[in-house]
Order: sequence, then C-alpha cells, then structure tokens
Amino acid sequence: MRRLTISPPLAAVLLAIVLFLLSGLLPNGFGNNPDIALAQAINIVRLSVFLGVIAAGQTLVIISGGEGIDLSAGAVVTLTAILTYTIVNGQDAQVLPALLAALVIGGAIGLVNGVGVAFLKVAPLVMTLGMAGVVSGLILVLTQGNVSGAIAPIMTRLIARPVVLGIPGAILIWAAFGALMWLLLERTRFGKHLFAIGTNRTTARLSGVNVTGMVLGVYALSGMLAGLGGFLVVGNTGVVHIRIGDPFLFPSIAAVAVGGTLLSGGKGSYAGAMAGALVLTLITSLLTTMQQPESIRRMVLGVTLLLMISIYGRQRGFRQ
Amino acid sequence: MAVSLSARNITKRYGAVVALDEANLEIRAGEVLALIGANGSGKSTFTRVMNGVVAPDSGQLLLDGRPMRFASPRAATNAGISTVFQELSLVPQMTVAENIWLTREPLRRGLIDRTTEQRRTADLLALFAGTFRSDLAPDVPVQALLPDEKQIVEILKAVSINPRLLILDEATASLDSRQVQRLFELVAHWKEQGKAIVFVSHRMAEIVQIADRYSVLRNGRTVGEGAMADATASDLVALMVEEAAVASVAQRARPSAEQLATRRVSLQVDDLRTAELNGVSLQVHEGELLGIGGLKGQGQRDLLLALFGSLPYSGRVTLDGQAVHCSHPREAMARGLALVPGERGREGLLAIRSILENLQIPSWRDYGFPLQMERARRTAGAVASRLNLIMAGLDQPVSGLSGGNAQKVVIGKWLLRNPRFLLLDDPTRGIDVGAKAEFYRLLAQLCDEGTTIVFYSSDDDELIGLCDRVLVMHDGKISSELAGATLTATNLIAASLGATRQEATP
Repeated sequence: MRRLTISPPLAAVLLAIVLFLLSGLLPNGFGNNPDIALAQAINIVRLSVFLGVIAAGQTLVIISGGEGIDLSAGAVVTLTAILTYTIVNGQDAQVLPALLAALVIGGAIGLVNGVGVAFLKVAPLVMTLGMAGVVSGLILVLTQGNVSGAIAPIMTRLIARPVVLGIPGAILIWAAFGALMWLLLERTRFGKHLFAIGTNRTTARLSGVNVTGMVLGVYALSGMLAGLGGFLVVGNTGVVHIRIGDPFLFPSIAAVAVGGTLLSGGKGSYAGAMAGALVLTLITSLLTTMQQPESIRRMVLGVTLLLMISIYGRQRGFRQ
Repeated sequence: MAVSLSARNITKRYGAVVALDEANLEIRAGEVLALIGANGSGKSTFTRVMNGVVAPDSGQLLLDGRPMRFASPRAATNAGISTVFQELSLVPQMTVAENIWLTREPLRRGLIDRTTEQRRTADLLALFAGTFRSDLAPDVPVQALLPDEKQIVEILKAVSINPRLLILDEATASLDSRQVQRLFELVAHWKEQGKAIVFVSHRMAEIVQIADRYSVLRNGRTVGEGAMADATASDLVALMVEEAAVASVAQRARPSAEQLATRRVSLQVDDLRTAELNGVSLQVHEGELLGIGGLKGQGQRDLLLALFGSLPYSGRVTLDGQAVHCSHPREAMARGLALVPGERGREGLLAIRSILENLQIPSWRDYGFPLQMERARRTAGAVASRLNLIMAGLDQPVSGLSGGNAQKVVIGKWLLRNPRFLLLDDPTRGIDVGAKAEFYRLLAQLCDEGTTIVFYSSDDDELIGLCDRVLVMHDGKISSELAGATLTATNLIAASLGATRQEATP
C-alpha cells in the first residue's frame, strides 16, 4: 500500500487555509464576506510575522540537536523591544542604531548561552531558562517598571501599514527574511554543518566540522533573531511593556514543531516554522474573534500541536 | 559438591554466520580449563551458551550428567554457574556493595539490610586486599573506580553467589600483574574447594601458568583439547591457525621490500602516547599499505584517532618530513589525512541525512557561496559510480543503505578530497563479501596512486593478503613487525597473544 506522504510545511499551510475557510461557516468567523475575508487573511499573515521571526532562531537551535532549545527568546524579545523603544524615542534617525543595538545585545546574550552549552556543558534547557531569568531580572532593574520612549513614524509605516498593493511591510520583510533563512539552511556551509551536528556530532566532528564553533554561532544567531523579533514587535504595537515578549516563547517552539522540524535535531526547515506560525496565529485569532476565553485558546493550541506532531511521527521518513 | 559440565555438539548460527559448529567442551570439579581461539573463533558465544545468555540452535549441555536447558542467565546462576563478563556489567551510579548484591540484597523485615550488605562486601574486598587503592570501600560508587578496580568488583560479584562453575571471560585484560597473581592464588584456592573454572584469555603466558587443560576453538569448531602439561604455546597457536584459509579474496600485488625502501617516508610517528598507547613509533612509506594487527582493544583505535587529531596525545607526528600536531580533525583533513572510523553508524554516517550530504560533509567549504549544488551533485555522483554504490538516488537517506553500501559512502566522502593519507579502522567489519572484494581492489588502486594507507583490521586474512607490512599491537605498544616471509597467520596470532616470535615458515 502506498502511503500518503505530505511535507509538514505544506500540511500546516493547508490546515491554515482549511481552518480559515471553515471559519466562514461560524458566526463571528472569518470569510463571510470576500473583501473582508481578504483583509482578515492579510492581517493574520501580518500578525504571524512576529512569531515567525522569533521562531527562526528557535528553528536553528532545535535543528542543531543536542537537546537544543532557546527558552531565553521571550526575555530577549522584551529586552530588545524596550531597548528599541527607548533608543528610537520617536526619531526616525535613531531607527537604524536601535536595530543594530537590538541585534548586538540579542546576539551577545545568545553567545553567552552558547558558551554555557558548548564549554560548560550545561543542558540547553537549563542554560537558556537560567538566562531568561537573568534577562528578566535585568529588565526590572533597568526599567524600574516603567519605560519611557516612543517608536518612530517610519517604523509604523514600514511594519504595520500597507506598503505595496495593500500588503503590509511586515509581510514583505518576512518574505525576504524567509528567503534568506532558506539560503542559510540549504545553500551555505553553515546550514549543511548545522544539519550535520544536529544529526550526529561525533560523525560531524570526524568529518572536520567545528562542532563547538557551530554551537556558539547558532545560539548567538538565535539571540540575534530574537533581537530582531523584539524590534519588529515594538514596531507593530507601538507601545511596550515589561512582559511583551513572554507570550511568544512557547508558541515559537510550537511553531517549529508544527512545521515538522524534528525536536531531536538534524531535520527541519524554516518554511515549516513559517507555516507553523501561521497556523498558531490563525487559531489564536479565530478563537479570539469567537470570543473564546484564554483557557479554551490554550487547550485548542495544545491539542493542535499534539495532533500535528503525532501525525508526523507516524509518517515514514520522519522517524529517526 | 563436585560439579561437571559438558557441552556436546553445540551449534549456534547468526543469520548466515556460523558462530559455533558442533563445539564440545568438558570440565570437571577442581580443574581450570583454558578456552582458546583466535578473534571470531566463537569463544564468547560458547561462554554465553554455558551461562544461559545465548540459547544454542542444537546440541546438549549436561550439568552433573543431566541434560540442562537454561531459559535465562538467571537459571544458569541458580544452577551455580557464574560469569565474570568481559564487558563490564556494573551500574555506574550504584555503590560497590549495591552492585555486588544487586537482586540478591540481604533483607531484614522486608527491607535491605545495609549493615550485612556492607559487611559481606568488605569480606569479599578483603580477597584482593592490598592490590587496589586503600579508600576503595563498599559504599563507594562504581563510577569513581579505576578500570582495574571495576574489574575486581565484577569478579567479586560473580564470586558472591558462591558458584560451582566460574567462567572468567577476559577477566584479566584490565588487571595489573599483582592483581592477576592474586586472582590466580584465589583460583588455586577455589580449585581445592572443588570449583570448576573456565578461563578465557588472550594472554598465552597466563594460560600456560593457570590452566590444567585446554580446549581450542577454530571457526566455531573444537579442534583440539588435552592436558596443558602436554602442550607448548606454539602447539596451541598451530591449532588456532588454519594456514590454508588464507587463500581468500584478500589479495594484492605488492611491491618488494627493496622497492618500498627506495620510497620516501611519508608518515613517521615517534613515541606516541595516549591513555591507551604506551609509546608507539612507526614509519610508513609513500604508497605503502601498512597493516595494524593484534587483538581488539590493544590501542589500534587510539592510534588512528590520535593521528587524525581527534584524541589528545603526546609524541611526534611527521608528515612528509614536517612535524605536525593536529588537535582537531579539520586540521588533519587540511594536511591530507582521512579517517574511516570503526563504528560506521555512530561515527561515520549522518543516518537521517541524504547520501549527497553524507558524501559532501567534509567538502562543503569547496563549493562557495551560495553552494554550487549542481557541481556538488556531479562530483558526488561521480564518486558514487566509482565505488559502484547501489542507491535509488543521491537524495535517499543513508539509513536505507546496506552495510556495504553505507561503508562506501563513508569511504566516498574521503575519496572526494583525494587524501594523501588514509586511516582505516576495521573498515570491512559487517560488510558483505562482494563489497569486500571491491574494497580490496580500491585499496590496491589507491596505493598505486601513491596514497599512504594505515589499515587496522580484525580480520587476519586481510592483513596477510593485502598489507606490505603488519605491525602487531599488544597492550598499547607495537609488539612485532611482520613482512614478507614472516607475514603468516601463525606468526600473526602468536604475536597477537604475546607469545614468543616465531621464525618464518618455509
């Protein structure tokens, strides 16, 4: 018997489309009116961008194996969002320095994670969880609970508003970003070595791969991408608070998993994480529109995650 | 109570491989029987049949004259048969006492009686008193012990059931000479108590010293037995070897020793030391196929890993007259070295990745940015067809390949880099005859092209049939060098066992 095989990213996107269309049948659902439905669809994709970018770093550390995970992503998003907010302080000219600061600070925090994992042999879960605590504490100390600043008009224009053909800038940024991530994973030595260390570090080392360097690099990169996420998030919301990044942490891991990336490492794609971010954002928005309480939203998200992963687990070729 | 065990016509097959072929063994109370044979002769399988770990396909075990069929190792233990395993069976996190009495803990009112357990353990440890560190106490976790101390605990664990038949399977391999002597004193004592002891060892000197009788296995068959007093070490070696079997597929036209001597030395090693290596020195000429022989675990793996920069070492390594010290495989790679590691699945392959990626891992840096995938596919395809790799396509995961084809991928990834030095760690283990023959042709071809090859094999026929010279390793040192007329199966085995060097057979 021929098995039905479908790639996880495609499965996730199809699920998103089916859910979107089905929701048209529900009261308060999407898609009752075609024009409004299109606007709603674009809006959901736009909202997925922030989760999608944060999930990019998560994708890299998870692919790198060795129980790789980045639990500090949420705290880094918060820190860099606050940083962006205060540095920009309403001036367009300050946007680039703020972006640079977000990337450097995020990267530095990630690098410390990498040092802990690669040299001190701390388990990634413990290392990044500890780092999340340190960064959260740091935020409290630095802000004393209140943040003053403002984002710049140019950020709102580029991130939150439509740029061409009614498509918001965030989506265009995400599309370009997705292409870059594909290039990084599939068409660079870094990407090939990343899959290699995620599959088998002994083999990778005996084939000349600098495993330690790769681990350092991948955690630093994950921190940088969380930094980029923080910059984009605050650009979208226009306001900041000291827990702004927290709601992104677990969905960023879930998005990677829903996209078919093996949590044990060595196999996966960013397209999968993008599709996963879409599905999770869609479900959340849908349930919010239907005025379902937080508790229901969490349960539905949890069940979706379990269902998708168990389906992938049963597919041949996705088992190790 | 006196004991006797006889194993009659025991046969055990693993797929197409016959591990034991009508093997026989007879042992009585109060004697030490040495069970000897070359690598892969079936010794380990035989001991596993006797202690119930392996069920034979046919044949009979008679314990005290009555037919026995052990359903489990436990059943054999209950019958008074105890084994000191070659591969340690201790739980690292548990203490010495907990390990020794595991599943047989002394109880008091349903709870483990720690005091009795500690006391009994101390009594057992007293047997080896003075041969290990003084702080080795019953409540020390096993992971804190040195290898020889672990081996002693393993012995005591086997002794703790007060067995009637004790099997010592390579139990002396990690002990020092003082500990071995103490063990032998104990063995003599146990003999007097009427215990029977089966002694499996690779060290000929120990066999001669301790055994009353011997039984020799060759290719799973019992080819000789008798009283130790009537045999010399060389008689036993002769029994273990089958010279005629050398006419195998492993053949290669070799340059003469004079021809080799005219070539320059491309790899020189002086006094190489690691945890396992006790000062190895060797020279290899350009285009030479140097064999490394000896029993398993004598430091061959460390030698190859150290040369490839994967293991810290002290000593001097000279490549083409230039001193080098590689501290990472990629440095070794940059100098033209390549290593086919000993454990294909764990060290050589990326199981869930494609054949293409497995072939190209060491070489991606040569394909620019963005990676030139077309060229990568072309070169990988070329090496796959050179190696006659049977596959559905380059994108197939490597986990779907047979052993022989998977090994071709491991070799192929290095051929893509045209290495000048090829290090091979038992590369034909577990691959089929056809793939072996292809591999032998490839080795010959590479030597002709000037590649310098260091080739460890656990298959003596390969070493004899293919290599220009063979260095035999024993206890982390090179114990002898065989070449030309002295490169015979008899000499190889004698040297492996540490027996005195024999002259060339006419």
